[in-house]
Amino acid sequence: MECTGCEGTRTRRDRPHTFFAHEKATCDKCGGELEARVVLRDNRVFHLKHCNDCGPSEALISENADDYVRAFLERGAPAGSGEHHFKQTTSTCPSCLALVEAQVVIRDNRVYFKKRCAQCGPSEALVSENAKYYVNAYAFARAGTEPLRFRSEVKHGCPTDCGTCNDHEQHTCLPIVEVTDFCNLECPICIVNNQYSNHMSTADFARIVDVLIESEGQCESIALSGGEPTSHPRIFELIGIASRPEIARTVVITNGLRLARDRAFAESIKRSGAYIALQLDGFTADTHEKIRGRDLCREKQAALQVLKELDIPTQLIFVATRGVNEHQIGQAVELFLSQEHILSLNFQPAAYTGFGGGRFQHDPMDRLTIPGVIQRVEEQTAGKLKVSDFFPLPCSHPQCVSLTYLLRLDDGSCLPFARFVDFKKYGTLLRSSATLPASAEIHEAMEDVIHDVFARQGEIERGPEILRALRRTLDVMFPRRPLSPKEAVRVGERQSKSIFLHHYMDRHDFDLERLRKCCHHYPQVDGRIMPACGFNMFHRGAAQGPNTKRPGWGKAPWPDRPAPSEAATLPNEERFSRDVLR
Amino acid sequence: MSAPLDGRTALVTGGSRGLGRAICQALSRDGARVAFNYSRSEQDACNTLEAIAAQGRRALAFRTSVVDKKAVQEMVLAIEREAGVIDILVNNAGFAQVVPLALMEEADWDCMLDTHVKGAFLVTQAVLRGMVRSGRGRILNISSLAGVKMMQAPVHYCTAKAALKGFTEGLAKEVGRYGITVNCLAPGILERGVGDHLPPSKREEYLRHCALRRTGTLAEVADVASFLVSDRNSYMNGATIVLDGAV
Repeated sequence: MECTGCEGTRTRRDRPHTFFAHEKATCDKCGGELEARVVLRDNRVFHLKHCNDCGPSEALISENADDYVRAFLERGAPAGSGEHHFKQTTSTCPSCLALVEAQVVIRDNRVYFKKRCAQCGPSEALVSENAKYYVNAYAFARAGTEPLRFRSEVKHGCPTDCGTCNDHEQHTCLPIVEVTDFCNLECPICIVNNQYSNHMSTADFARIVDVLIESEGQCESIALSGGEPTSHPRIFELIGIASRPEIARTVVITNGLRLARDRAFAESIKRSGAYIALQLDGFTADTHEKIRGRDLCREKQAALQVLKELDIPTQLIFVATRGVNEHQIGQAVELFLSQEHILSLNFQPAAYTGFGGGRFQHDPMDRLTIPGVIQRVEEQTAGKLKVSDFFPLPCSHPQCVSLTYLLRLDDGSCLPFARFVDFKKYGTLLRSSATLPASAEIHEAMEDVIHDVFARQGEIERGPEILRALRRTLDVMFPRRPLSPKEAVRVGERQSKSIFLHHYMDRHDFDLERLRKCCHHYPQVDGRIMPACGFNMFHRGAAQGPNTKRPGWGKAPWPDRPAPSEAATLPNEERFSRDVLR
Repeated sequence: MSAPLDGRTALVTGGSRGLGRAICQALSRDGARVAFNYSRSEQDACNTLEAIAAQGRRALAFRTSVVDKKAVQEMVLAIEREAGVIDILVNNAGFAQVVPLALMEEADWDCMLDTHVKGAFLVTQAVLRGMVRSGRGRILNISSLAGVKMMQAPVHYCTAKAALKGFTEGLAKEVGRYGITVNCLAPGILERGVGDHLPPSKREEYLRHCALRRTGTLAEVADVASFLVSDRNSYMNGATIVLDGAV
């Protein structure tokens, strides 16, 4: 239930490139060290640089992008036993949050960041449980899409200028609006330090939606989060405001407690047309207690039941946490596969950041990462889903999200697209979206897939059944009548399912390269649209945790007071100060 | 020098006589392994096989109706087993029937449309699978001047032949991305072709309007067909070639 515009329709005119990676370079004018963006353009490779003293510049570093990428991937291939260096990037000191250089090294087929902070000393963190997956993911990098409008200027560099500045490499796929800081749980792993002080006003929310539409034109989804959004006394007014023609889906991200006990509320959700993203991290008392603070088995079961009874389109969100609920990953997949109204399943390997998460007991050298969760999916579903069914999502940074789509066959079972689609050939189908929209591009990709399956149906598992299901899908998604943009996004949502794995970052595995292409954004009342991990780690006051010093790298990640010229653009300076700087 | 269709496998529908036989002979002469189907005369099929044998080559013949989906699929599989993936398909099967609309039975209409259009669809669908897999193919649909120009001819025949032009254009767009070209050949009246049964007055009228003042021959059309399905004709796609001596 995520993206809309990642179909390459608005490639940046000023930067028609594919952002590939970060690496160290020097300023051509002053010779100072800086971090350059490696971008692929016209099959050549360039460094894009921004020197604080000399300004922007660029330099050609390779005449052949294919050769460059091949050599880059080869650097990640195992070179005998022991540790070897793959690349470098910019991460954070886990103690003081200062930006520090990180060496990306591979050891025993795992990927680690090795860092040294001038103040706090050395540190190391696991960033991927599978080096092969990590390295090959870079091959999926794809050009970003330009928003219609950026919300901030490049002044100090990333992540200080978040908002998004015009150096950001991706538009907003999923806007997440925190509509309240009230909650009915105190989850040990929560990133938010809820103050129980503010329900966002409908006027503020409407302004956020206006800004989003101004920036994006249209959105496939908007997510209402919190706190617990169902505690907002005017939640249905907010849903109504979001239910505009330009926004296809309004998703309420909830712990489900109110749905479980308040059937009238659930029926109102159904009537409102909103979708539910239900937090469901396990199936036993102990997992709930460790992650959410108390046994929620009964409430979660009741919430699932009412969602099923009312046929409310649902996404499950499972925070996969090492040593806590990793053994229940397969059970979540089975539940997802068995219920028609559950459209997608989102695994989020735990990010140890923010008010609660930052203090949650963890070992940065032994944690779940995307390939580790995928491995557990295969192991715990007896191969019903396989590691080879999953691919990195190209439109975000390929280390951020992995996904698989599953086609519903006519007998109700689901088959991963990867069993019959070559995603390297039909990359259009890999989108930051839980469902496939009825767009011309998807239609063309589906026709390709149909011909491909048609030609190989004797070799493909369940070939004739796949063709029948694709025929049904085409008939449903492309009916003989015009579809509104909203309908086009939603019409195919019961034809397939999806599993996403989204690894949000924390102080251990933060990678500035990933942040630069983030497409999950928190729109703010002041008009900024903040990339999620940057907001959680640097810009969300509470997220820094009570014992964390302000980042030591020289600049506060937000202005204490907006400059006079900026003040006019801030619709509510007082609100800005209270909410953002609290 | 190798022949232009060396190493290619071709299927010609309705190959036992008339233009179909001439196309079989031309493709075989130009190097293709030729298979054809027929629905009625065993003797005609034998004559085609003998004509090809006289060229020192061998062909495959199948008694299969083009409107029998299962039989068509079995025929295509048998050809693929015997001669490899089909590279060239000539949808030629058809017939002419002179009957005014007022007397036309529903069965006449169905039979005409089924043989020309549904037959082309079923055979193409069965053959296309291999072509998509191999990433190449040449499909040639045999239409008629009556399908592309306003002529005094039976309406069901005109309709069926015009449909093949549409079939060509739609399919060319759909499968061009797999290296498959689809074209259409629309001959005028041919010696010993379906026009043989025309009343003399109609034949004379045709000759009056034809710049070459004669009817075409089966061999002339077959030669063009052989060129159209060869690799030398690599960029033409979705086209209808009219071969009528300039009417």
